[in-house]
Amino acid sequence: MGLVTWARTRSPWLIHFNGAACNACDIEIVAVLTPRFDVERFGGVLKGSPRHADVLVVSGSVSRKLKSRLKRIYEQMPEPKFVVAVGSCANTGGTFQDCYNVMEGVDKVIPVNAHVIGCPPKPEAILDGVVKLLKSAGY
Amino acid sequence: MSYSEENTKTLERLSEAIGEENLVETKSPKANRIYVLIKTEKLRDAVTYLKEKEGLFHLATITGVDLGEEREINYHLNRPNLIFTIKVRVPSEKPVVPSITDIIPGAVLYEREVNDLIGVYPEGHPNPKRLLMTEEWPEGIYPLLKKWDVKSLRKAIDGEEWT
Amino acid sequence: MSDREFQIPIGPQHPALKEPASFLFTVDGEVVVDVEPRIGYNHRGIEKAMEARTYIQNLYLTERVCGICSNAHQTLFSINVEDVAGIQIPPRAKYLRTLVHELERIHSHLLWVGVAAHEIGFDTLFYYVWRDREIVLDILEEISGNRVNYAWNTIGGVRRDISSDKIPKFQKMLDTLAERTAYYTKVASTESSVLERAAGVGYCSKADMIRLCGSGPHARASGVNKDTRRDNTYLAYDEVPFNVITYDSGDVLANVLVRVGELVESVGIAKYVLDHLPDGPIREKFTPLQRVPEGEATNMVEAQRGELIHYISSKGDNKPYRYKIRAPTLGNIPSLIVKLKGGFIADIPIVLAGIDPCFSCTDRMVFVDEVKEKTWDMTNEELRNYGLRWYKNGFNK
Repeated sequence: MGLVTWARTRSPWLIHFNGAACNACDIEIVAVLTPRFDVERFGGVLKGSPRHADVLVVSGSVSRKLKSRLKRIYEQMPEPKFVVAVGSCANTGGTFQDCYNVMEGVDKVIPVNAHVIGCPPKPEAILDGVVKLLKSAGY
Repeated sequence: MSYSEENTKTLERLSEAIGEENLVETKSPKANRIYVLIKTEKLRDAVTYLKEKEGLFHLATITGVDLGEEREINYHLNRPNLIFTIKVRVPSEKPVVPSITDIIPGAVLYEREVNDLIGVYPEGHPNPKRLLMTEEWPEGIYPLLKKWDVKSLRKAIDGEEWT
Repeated sequence: MSDREFQIPIGPQHPALKEPASFLFTVDGEVVVDVEPRIGYNHRGIEKAMEARTYIQNLYLTERVCGICSNAHQTLFSINVEDVAGIQIPPRAKYLRTLVHELERIHSHLLWVGVAAHEIGFDTLFYYVWRDREIVLDILEEISGNRVNYAWNTIGGVRRDISSDKIPKFQKMLDTLAERTAYYTKVASTESSVLERAAGVGYCSKADMIRLCGSGPHARASGVNKDTRRDNTYLAYDEVPFNVITYDSGDVLANVLVRVGELVESVGIAKYVLDHLPDGPIREKFTPLQRVPEGEATNMVEAQRGELIHYISSKGDNKPYRYKIRAPTLGNIPSLIVKLKGGFIADIPIVLAGIDPCFSCTDRMVFVDEVKEKTWDMTNEELRNYGLRWYKNGFNK
C-alpha cells in the first residue's frame, strides 16, 4: 500500500453532521472522543470544517430544512470521502418514519458507505463502524 | 388557607373582574388545576387581571387544538400549586385571536408556533413570521389540523407521492 | 434594519455536540446590537405522529423527543396519561421514577459542564468531566440496560425493578461522583480561565427573566427562585429533602455555579431515594390497546433545562386527540436574546452554551454590521477560535 494510502487510513478525520437528531446519537458520537473509548488511538479527530474531513458521520432523521445543507456539506468534502450513517433514524427514519417533516434515511439524500444501527448505538459500535469502513475501503 | 381554597378564591375573583357572563365553562379536575373557557373578547382583560392581581405572571405555553368547526387556544399560566388554563375558541372560518405579547412578553414565540401549526393568527403580534417551517413550505398548510394525515401532507408539500 | 445591512450565511458543524439552529446577528463593530432566532431545523412533526399512535407506542416516541432529557419527557407523558385515566401509581414506582429522573439530571449537567469548558477552550476539564460522567452512565446501564434512552417508564409505573443487593454498589459509585463534583465546584468558582470568560458575561436581570418567562437553571442564575419540583410537586419530591440553588449575578458564571450546585443536590437526592425505597409492586395494569376516558390534563416537570410542560386532550380513544409538548429551551429563547444583546461577538459561543440549549448548535451564524457595511461569515469552529484568541490577546480589557 502506498505512503499516501497508509497515511489516510491511519488518520481518518471525522466531521459530524446533526440532521435533526434527538441528540442521543450525538452524545454517543462525542463520547467516542472521551478517554474511555478514545477514537484518537485510531488517529481519528473530530474536525469542524468539511474541507478538512475524510469521513462524514451523520446522525438523525434528516429534516426537510436540513436536506440541502447536508448535500452542500457532502459536496464540500474533498475526495476520497466516506459517509457513516449512525443510528436507526439516519438509516431508515427510525421511530420518526411517519412524521411529515422527515426524510426517511440519509441514503435518500447522499450515498452512504457504512450503516451503524442502534437507538442509540453504543460508542464501541460507532468506533467499530468507522474502523470497518476504512478496512473495507480496500486499504 | 390551603392552596385549594386559594385557587377557588382566584377563580371567584376572576369571575367578578371580567363579568360572570363571560365565563362560559369552568372545570377543576384537581385542586391545583383550573380550566376556564371565556369569551374571546375578554381574553386580554382576563390575562391582565390574572397577571397583575393573582400572581399568575408566568406563561408556560400556548396550545392550539383543532376541534373541527372551531379552534381552541389554551393559555397555560402557573404559580406555585396552580396551573390555570384560559381557553378561548375561535371559528375555523376566521381563526384570529388577539395577541397578548404586550401584556406577557414571554408569549412572543408561542403565538408564532400556534400560527404555524394550527393557523390561528395572533392579531397585534410584533413579528408574526413563520417559526418552524422551511422557506419552501407552502402557505396555508397548517400541519396539525385534523384534515391532514401524513400522506396527504407530504403530497401537498412535495407535490408527489412518497415511496 | 437599514438598507446597508446584509447577511452572509455561515458554515456547518460544531466539533462538540450541538443541534442545528440559526441566529441572525446585527452588529456594530464588536458589539451585538440585535438578534433574531431562526429555529425549526429540528422540527420533525412529533405532535402529529403522536395522534396516530396508541399510548404505549407513544412511550417510545416521547422518549426520543430529546436524547438528553429523554426520561423527563417520557415520565411526564406517563404522568399525564395516568392523570386523565385516573391511575394512581404505587409508591415504589414513584421513587424509582424519581431516581432515574435525578440520575439523568446528573448526566446532563456533567455533559453540559464538559461542553461549556470546551467552549471556553478548557479541553482538559471537558475530558475529565466526560470520564466521570461514565460513572452515572454505568449506573443507568445496570439499572435499565442502556446508557441513553432507558425505556424506564410505562403507563402505570416503571418497567423494571432494582434488586436490593445492588444498592450498596450504586451508593459507592454515587459517593465517588460526589467527591468529583466537589472538585469541579472548586474549579468552576476559582479557576481564572473560567472566571475571565464567564464572569459578567451574558447578563439578564431578574425582572427581565420574569417578564420573559424563563425557567430552569437559566432563570435561577438570575435570582428567580422557581423550581417545579418544589412549586408544583410531582413524584416523590414532596418526601425527599433538597435545596433549590439560585445565584443573583445573572451571568454565565452564575449558570455554571447553579448547575454545579444542582449536581451536588441531585447526587444527594439519588442517594436518599436509594436509601428509602419503599417496598411493593412497581406498576399498575395498563393494556396495550386500553382506552383512556375523555378529559384533559396539564402537567409539568423540572427537566434538566427548565420547566417542561405537556398537555393532553383525550376523546375516549386509545390514541390521544391532541398532545402538546413545550420544551424548556423555547421558553428560554427570549431571555437568551437579552443576554446576547450588548455583548461582544467573542462571547456568543459561551452565552449560547450557557443556557444549555436543547436545540444546541447554531449551524449558521450570520453577521450584519450596520455601520461598516460589512458582512461576513464564520463557521462555528472559527467563531470559537475567534473568541479564544480575542480573550488571550486581552481585547476585553
